[in-house]
Amino acid sequence: MVENRPWLSFLTHLVLIAGVVIVVFPVYLAFIASTHGSGDFMRGLVPLLPGPHMLENYGRMLNEGISTAGAPPVSIMLMNSTIIAIVIAVGKIAISLLSAYAIVFFKFPFRLLAFWIIFITLMLPVEVRIIPTFAVVANLGLLNSYVGLTLPLIASATATFLFRQFFLTVPDELMEAARVDGAGPMKFFRDILIPLSRTNIAALFVILFIYGWVQYLWPLLVTTDSRYYTVVMGIKRLAATADAEPLWNLVMASVILAMLPPVLVVIFMQRLFVKGLVDTEK
Amino acid sequence: MATINLVDLKKNYGNVPAVKGINLQVADGELIVLVGPSGCGKSTLLRMVAGLETVTSGRIEIGGKDVVKAEPAERDIAMVFQNYALYPHMSVRGNLEYGLKNRGTPRGEIDRRVQEAADILEIGPLLDRKPRQLSGGQRQRVAMGRAIVREPAAFLFDEPLSNLDAKLRVQMRVEIRKLQRRLKTTSLYVTHDQLEAMTLADRLVVMNGGLVEQIGTPTEVYDRPATLFVAGFIGSPPMNLIEVSSVANKNSIGTLPAKTDIIGIRPDALFIAPQEGASISLKGSVELLEPIGGESHVHVRLDSSGQSVVLSIPGRPHLEEGADITLHARLADIHPYNSDTGRRTDSPVANL
Amino acid sequence: MQTKRTIFPNKLLPYALLAPQLAVTLIFFIWPAGQAVKSSFEREDPFGFRTTFIWFENYARLFSEPGYVNSLTKTAIFAISVTLLSMSLSLLLAVAVNRVIRTNRAYTTLLVWPYAVAPVVVGILWWFMFNPTIGIAPYLLRGLGISWNHRVDGTQAMILVVIAASWKQISYNFLFFVAGLQSVPQALNEAAAIDGAGPFKRFWTIVFPLLSPTTFFLLIVNINYAMFDTFGLIDATTNGGPNQATNILVYKVYADGFLGLNIGSSAAQSVVLMLIVIALTAIQFRYVERRVQY
Repeated sequence: MVENRPWLSFLTHLVLIAGVVIVVFPVYLAFIASTHGSGDFMRGLVPLLPGPHMLENYGRMLNEGISTAGAPPVSIMLMNSTIIAIVIAVGKIAISLLSAYAIVFFKFPFRLLAFWIIFITLMLPVEVRIIPTFAVVANLGLLNSYVGLTLPLIASATATFLFRQFFLTVPDELMEAARVDGAGPMKFFRDILIPLSRTNIAALFVILFIYGWVQYLWPLLVTTDSRYYTVVMGIKRLAATADAEPLWNLVMASVILAMLPPVLVVIFMQRLFVKGLVDTEK
Repeated sequence: MATINLVDLKKNYGNVPAVKGINLQVADGELIVLVGPSGCGKSTLLRMVAGLETVTSGRIEIGGKDVVKAEPAERDIAMVFQNYALYPHMSVRGNLEYGLKNRGTPRGEIDRRVQEAADILEIGPLLDRKPRQLSGGQRQRVAMGRAIVREPAAFLFDEPLSNLDAKLRVQMRVEIRKLQRRLKTTSLYVTHDQLEAMTLADRLVVMNGGLVEQIGTPTEVYDRPATLFVAGFIGSPPMNLIEVSSVANKNSIGTLPAKTDIIGIRPDALFIAPQEGASISLKGSVELLEPIGGESHVHVRLDSSGQSVVLSIPGRPHLEEGADITLHARLADIHPYNSDTGRRTDSPVANL
Repeated sequence: MQTKRTIFPNKLLPYALLAPQLAVTLIFFIWPAGQAVKSSFEREDPFGFRTTFIWFENYARLFSEPGYVNSLTKTAIFAISVTLLSMSLSLLLAVAVNRVIRTNRAYTTLLVWPYAVAPVVVGILWWFMFNPTIGIAPYLLRGLGISWNHRVDGTQAMILVVIAASWKQISYNFLFFVAGLQSVPQALNEAAAIDGAGPFKRFWTIVFPLLSPTTFFLLIVNINYAMFDTFGLIDATTNGGPNQATNILVYKVYADGFLGLNIGSSAAQSVVLMLIVIALTAIQFRYVERRVQY
């Protein structure tokens, strides 16, 4: 800050506090709703202060779910979401590390073609090619399976580009020294390159974990068996029935549960999260 | 312990020749320094010996075996890189051990060699540190250590000192020389610093434009530069190269070999006072006086050609900038060249 | 394209390394996209026995269909509103956070986490707040004399999805604006202050122009986000309604393809969407190549 103007500092904090309120308020409201009994929503306005039914609501959703709405216990869905988010993140990182390694450290015919094929995935988000992709997965018999939920999502141009960028900054001499030291390509990859990429891998993992967790359309298409529901799509099914019978407290309890894991990841790994976000967009 | 033999070695990048046919025989235990300006092909040559560059044509023999097609790891060489290329995530010990582990050296043997190298280089206390915790000089030692533990047939040094500051560079230069004497390992050493080259080399290979200009001991190369390029490159300040036509007393030039049109005179062979015996003289005016401690460099602009020459004289001469001056040089100190061939016009220099 | 100075000489290994990525890409990306392009030129008879090649008929029909033109318009309104609203809020917050020193990190933490909230969950949160019977927003609006019911009023429905979508995107824009602001050299600010420019003038004449690469990049990213990443949000709030008022392109392609089962039209819609993504990506890489340095 160049000059010291008290009113400007005051205004600055005012803006920030207003921003925080805007960001936090909808979630606060959801949390409050999740602590009340279902009867509290009859009176025409949602309560603004916590009620006494928090443990009861969360316990019920985690352990039982709402069978009338076709929603299995949230604990199962949370488990599915965790598995899927981790598999997607690890899968994307693994295949992207390998392909970036091939593109940077080898010269071979069709290298450019391979690069472009990977690049094209940037332009084909799942929303754009839903039906034919669904057909492929259905034909492969992958509906209602973890493979079907994850495999079609693990191609990643962004991760490949990120690792390519990083590999290009690794000094040439390191690889030369390793060759003189008798390391072949896979040994160099494992002993030198992967350890050097640790921070990038961790940062990317945070971003991709979130990416996997928030997937909605794809799980919605490929799962009809509630054993494979992810929490994000399960909630939607719950919410759809909430208007009919006032289960706001239960819906909001699951909303909070569905948000919590990725939000905690962002808050506690903020540094990695910011690095991952900024790097992947370079 | 091994000889290195390069036979008509060539390297093209696409159609651009980088190394145009090099022949070199390195004796067992010898330290050869490849020196030349950047882009002269010296690093490419070294990297071809290491196996890091493919060879366009020619042969490389290490210890009598042709290794042109061999992987770097199969050539029994160790290399010290300019930026050290230490594995940043491994401890010093990890760095030293890596090459031995990859070769399946038994644990006991690894420990013995690491300990020995650490003792020689005095890096014992650093063994458990990471490279980023080391100073430039310490990293340099670790890079050397990584080469030593391998006990290879040959050391290859690629400008290993150029990332160090001036003082450390002089110190490490001495250490490398002592170490090489002690281990008696055949070594190829690349540098662009001619002073480093002179002080380290058993023999110098002066390169320019992908070709060898001269091979010889440092004194041979300094005393009798084979070409105009070498004359200008080796020595600091560089040799003055003067067109014969600018010399004042033309009568003394009759004694120069035929076809001489350029003469070279080292800055320390030019004098202000007239010299005994056969000599030449040059008239000019003092342009600049550079006192550099024990000696001074005097820049003189010659009247005849307007060319600037440098002489170095001990102490601090009382000269006014702008004053007229006559310079003298003994005929015996003059290096005669022909500008068309670029070579000496007196007896040719053998390149062995 | 760049590689290392020295490379490994293996001939087959690179193909093996690329195989997993290429296999997934070809099977789940390239092949389905090709299928979409193919079926966009075909008509399937009602029983699915025969397909006929019909050139651009699907496209022609698509663009003459009022529902599709409506969807295009709604998408444009939605994308532009979300981009402007979210980016201006984020810029304001980023500039503010860049001015505070000690509490900088605390504010940042409090502002960035919505990035991790799934669009469909965002939809549910705002749907709850704007619920016509029990929501807090309609209650407050009634006090202002506004009757809120986005289930009937198309404009209100659009406002709701715009607010919800912008809310989610604030954190992303905020982080990039902060990074962009930090790359503006402090010396320029000081020089301008010495030249007599006050804080607001400095912002508009020095900082904002220097921020333009970030702004442009975010413009593209936000349009992309609003068009393609908001499916869940729409699905959770308005289902494209009322009366198609919020039926944006990605929602329509899903509804027509899966619920309406009109393969030819849905494929043509997919291809149009692909062309839009390709155009956005091309713009991004063409003009945003050398962006802000961090």
